[in-house]
Amino acid sequence: MNNKKNSRRKFISKSALAALTAVVGTKIVYGENFPAELEPIGLDETVDPEKLPGKSEALTILNRKPWNAETPPHLLDPEITPANVMFVRNNGIPPTEFDLENWTLTIEGEAAAQQKTFTLKELYDNFTHYTYDLTLECGGNGRSEFNPPAKGNQWGLGAVACTRWTGVRLKDVLNAVGVKDSAVYIGYYGADTHLSGDMSKTVISRGVPIKKAMEDESLIAWAMNGEAIPKMNGYPLRLVMGGWPASVSGKWLTKIAIRDKEHDGPKMGGQSYRVPKYPVPPGTKVPDEDMKIIESMPVKSIVTYPKTGAIIGKGKSFEVRGHAWAGDLMVKSVMVSIDFGVSWQKCELNPPKNRLAWQRWKTEVTLPGYGYYEIWARAMDENGKVQPMILPGWNPKGYLNNACHRIAVKQA
Amino acid sequence: MTKEEKIYEQALKQARRTITFASLLIVTAVIFTVQLTYFPRFFSTPDENISVLDTSVIDPMLMTMDLNPDEIENGIHTPTGLIVDDGVDLVIRTCGACHSLDLVTQNKADRKGWKDIIVWMQETQGLWDLGATEDVILTYLAKNYAPVDEGRRRNLEVLEWYEL
Repeated sequence: MNNKKNSRRKFISKSALAALTAVVGTKIVYGENFPAELEPIGLDETVDPEKLPGKSEALTILNRKPWNAETPPHLLDPEITPANVMFVRNNGIPPTEFDLENWTLTIEGEAAAQQKTFTLKELYDNFTHYTYDLTLECGGNGRSEFNPPAKGNQWGLGAVACTRWTGVRLKDVLNAVGVKDSAVYIGYYGADTHLSGDMSKTVISRGVPIKKAMEDESLIAWAMNGEAIPKMNGYPLRLVMGGWPASVSGKWLTKIAIRDKEHDGPKMGGQSYRVPKYPVPPGTKVPDEDMKIIESMPVKSIVTYPKTGAIIGKGKSFEVRGHAWAGDLMVKSVMVSIDFGVSWQKCELNPPKNRLAWQRWKTEVTLPGYGYYEIWARAMDENGKVQPMILPGWNPKGYLNNACHRIAVKQA
Repeated sequence: MTKEEKIYEQALKQARRTITFASLLIVTAVIFTVQLTYFPRFFSTPDENISVLDTSVIDPMLMTMDLNPDEIENGIHTPTGLIVDDGVDLVIRTCGACHSLDLVTQNKADRKGWKDIIVWMQETQGLWDLGATEDVILTYLAKNYAPVDEGRRRNLEVLEWYEL
């Protein structure tokens, strides 16, 4: 145990040192001919083990090792989620050294016509740039409500964000390499390292069917909200594939394999990011072969204003607003209820900025008199599917909780 | 001393050195063979068996004695947030070796559920065989981090009411 602890401590102090070096050194390594968007932000960040690097202290920390933190719903109010409040879901230890001149992305795999490696600059210079607002939600967002509880980070509501991503289309890069007809899936690899300190272990390597990879909005991105991607969110390069569990959007991207079968990297198989093929009673142990991979996320909405706990003055009406999203689909309508689901009022709903961006909704609410109220929001997708008011189907790992968001208000 | 005597002396010394070295070699070989045959794990590094060795020398009941009393508030070990109870020190040292203890405090499961989590970590995350400590750890977790039946939706909790 002591041996293990000592080597671990050495490992930690080494990586802390590396983090410092990176903070001081990135400016030097970062070449003059690089786009300004690639310049790292938060250079003066302190290496305080209690603080999540580059992030607001308003985030709710679920786990410090690996870092996992979520955004309180009222901080998700802006149209575009600010970088410093975007949630963090790490499976391992993010890289701490970034040599941008030599950071490369390799495309390979059984269904790749050749193996080809690109530097960041080559990606930047040789492909058309695109910018999209894309909603990323952790597959386990809302896990904390499942009963019996599912293991893992106990996410509340805030493992979701919609930010403005800039990069190149994944399909442009894949086509430049050559995609064989046998292509079925892509799988990513990143530069993060395993918690156990075993450098040979891949932390997480997930992916999507080739059809999703080839969509216009599937990006290899180097910028978020017009700046470098925050270190905790995948700096300097990541995949972004909106509408699917965010774990398919690999961070600290170094390699993409074009596979001729379903990708089989860590956290693709077993029970990870999978739900039962058929509904099961709560608490059921479901065999691996009866689990299926989660693809598009279900319809969902959040109330971002007001913050829960508002006391409304007598006779005053107030705006209630938030965002709604529906995986690969559009949101058709959003309703709110102030009487525990007995009656619903229709909200104003904006179209998405682009496909896979969340949609702003708002409405004016007047409470009928003195008392305690809950405001429930409920979105419907373009196929007519709505959010359930109680927990949706229980599943072993606690994914896909899209139950209505509720906030509490009182009228004085 | 004559030249012959000197050579004789030197030859004698050389012979003694050779005999000493040879006997040492033989003794070492014998020890090595005996060790290898009868105690094969004697010199191997206590890699996977670390915690097994730990439990053999530390009485689990005395484990909480290791915690700093200044760091305990209302039965909670403040640096980790864990409930102070028998085995908490083992949990801190075992679980905290790889991940933060937030991952313990935010989860709830019965004994079988916690056991499944340990098995999953052993199969996929490189957790070692916990040996005799597993029982202490499982008892601690199942008692202090047991699931609560909260139905299909809990009541809302408001931390702070404010005037809008």
